[in-house]
Amino acid sequence: MSTAPAHETLGRPVSATGRPKGRSSPLGARLRGVPWVLPAIVLVIGLIYFPIGYLGYASTLDWNGFILSTPTSIGDANYAKMFGDPVFWNALWHTVLFYLITFSVQTFIGFTFAGVMHSRIRLANAYKTIVFIPVVLAPATMAPVFRQVFDQFGQFNWLLSNIGLGSLTRPWLADPTTAMPVVMFITVWEWTGLTFILYYAAMSQLNPEILEAARVDGASSFRVLRSIVWPMCKGTTAALAVLGLIGALKTFDIPYLVTHGGPNHATEFLGTYIYYVMAQQKHFGYAATLAIALLVLAVAGGVLLRTSTSRSEKG
Amino acid sequence: MFDVHGRASRIGLQLLATLMILPFLAPLVFGVQGSLGGLGLGNYAKVFNTGIVPTVFTNSAIVSVCTIAIVYACTMLAAFGFSKLRILGREVWFWALLAALTVPEAVILTPLFVVASNFDLYDELLAVILPLAALQVPFTVLVARNFFDGIPNEIMEAARVDGANDAQVFWSVVLPLTLPITAVIIVFTLISSWNSYLLPMLMLTDQSKQVVTLLPSFFTSQYTNDQTGVLAAAVITAVPEVLVYLAFQKYFERGLAAGALK
Repeated sequence: MSTAPAHETLGRPVSATGRPKGRSSPLGARLRGVPWVLPAIVLVIGLIYFPIGYLGYASTLDWNGFILSTPTSIGDANYAKMFGDPVFWNALWHTVLFYLITFSVQTFIGFTFAGVMHSRIRLANAYKTIVFIPVVLAPATMAPVFRQVFDQFGQFNWLLSNIGLGSLTRPWLADPTTAMPVVMFITVWEWTGLTFILYYAAMSQLNPEILEAARVDGASSFRVLRSIVWPMCKGTTAALAVLGLIGALKTFDIPYLVTHGGPNHATEFLGTYIYYVMAQQKHFGYAATLAIALLVLAVAGGVLLRTSTSRSEKG
Repeated sequence: MFDVHGRASRIGLQLLATLMILPFLAPLVFGVQGSLGGLGLGNYAKVFNTGIVPTVFTNSAIVSVCTIAIVYACTMLAAFGFSKLRILGREVWFWALLAALTVPEAVILTPLFVVASNFDLYDELLAVILPLAALQVPFTVLVARNFFDGIPNEIMEAARVDGANDAQVFWSVVLPLTLPITAVIIVFTLISSWNSYLLPMLMLTDQSKQVVTLLPSFFTSQYTNDQTGVLAAAVITAVPEVLVYLAFQKYFERGLAAGALK
């Protein structure tokens, strides 16, 4: 779906009374669809494009966001500040790391689980449901649960002490080195169900005869999964890779609610940093600048999405 | 996929599957368990006694229903227009919509905050509904247009010959064929609006205007660090979601899968 499909006209335009309109108003005919697409366009322009335009202006200001206080125009000083801001670069780095790790782990677990579920397993429906429930639950709903699980006196430390790993117990969320892995774990917990469902659906489309032929040739189950099924699910993996990238850029709820971007910015993402600069520091101009940076990355991700889907449709 | 013959390997595979789901199950169990600590069911009574539970559910329902209605109407009209009617510079308009596909909420946060704080739009559910709908529409239009492109024009030609205008063709010929895509749009919009946290947190400060995702944090501020109350509040908001998912399991799974791949 990348180029204009060939359905230019639906025959000759006919008015409600049934009389042919003829060619008297070619412009009218060419604008016939405009009222139909207008509500969607107005909504998106009004609530996305207009705010983005405003961002561009606000990013040149030193302003606390209240209309009574006069903003000072400072040119590109906010941008200079951003490029020299270690927290900004850390947030970017966190996003990259977060994306690479959560995507790999989700793919591995989701793909393996889909393979297992395509075998003869008892209670398969219950198992599938359990893995998918986190996708439906709000991150905001589960955040308090995870705060408790990874608390100093939480279930995770209790579990560790009971299996003889008591030396590993720690306040997982308060430790800058472990807070990020916890945020990643929660994300994997949340989204692997979707990865699983997509691979599960892709595997249902495979031709059983190919798999049977491989088995007759003596290939082991793992070999079949790795050398035949995995390459055939390439399209699904590509779609998930791009979805994951956009999801990583959108990350907000979990780090904000579970770790507040801390300790000491250890789990800061662009979304949480924008909110922090805006709501805590009241630097609206700088928050707008960071938002522009996030926008540029998101649009780049979108372009990647378009090119990758059109490529997978062609090939 | 795994070809199991012997009894031992079948049990081994079952064991592997069980081990894999345990980490997914455990947080759900821990949440319920934690919510029953201390006062036991009394924690739930405490949450309900605040009287805010019906309020947040009503507000969330209003937000979700309105967002779905706006998204559905805009999407269906636009998908029909883009797919079946002549529009000057059609692909330009379409790309303008698509460019907004990946814009994160956080990008429009600052402008929305400025507008809301200066024009007193705080605590209006509409201040959450409209941005949520706008963020959703590019995606649903993309998915719906793909679907509309698959509807053969010949079906509509027949109606046109009988003298039907665009609106009549849309209403009586095309719309009845769009049930599968309707499910996708509703599931996606329901999940994104019901689960949304950032916009409501920013816009809805008054207690009478809060939504379900704000319920646990409401409890944190109300009773400082009342962990059992927070968890009871979390369970109360999670249970209806799980029930709705179980009731419409097929639609949720297919809808999310179909949407994710487009």
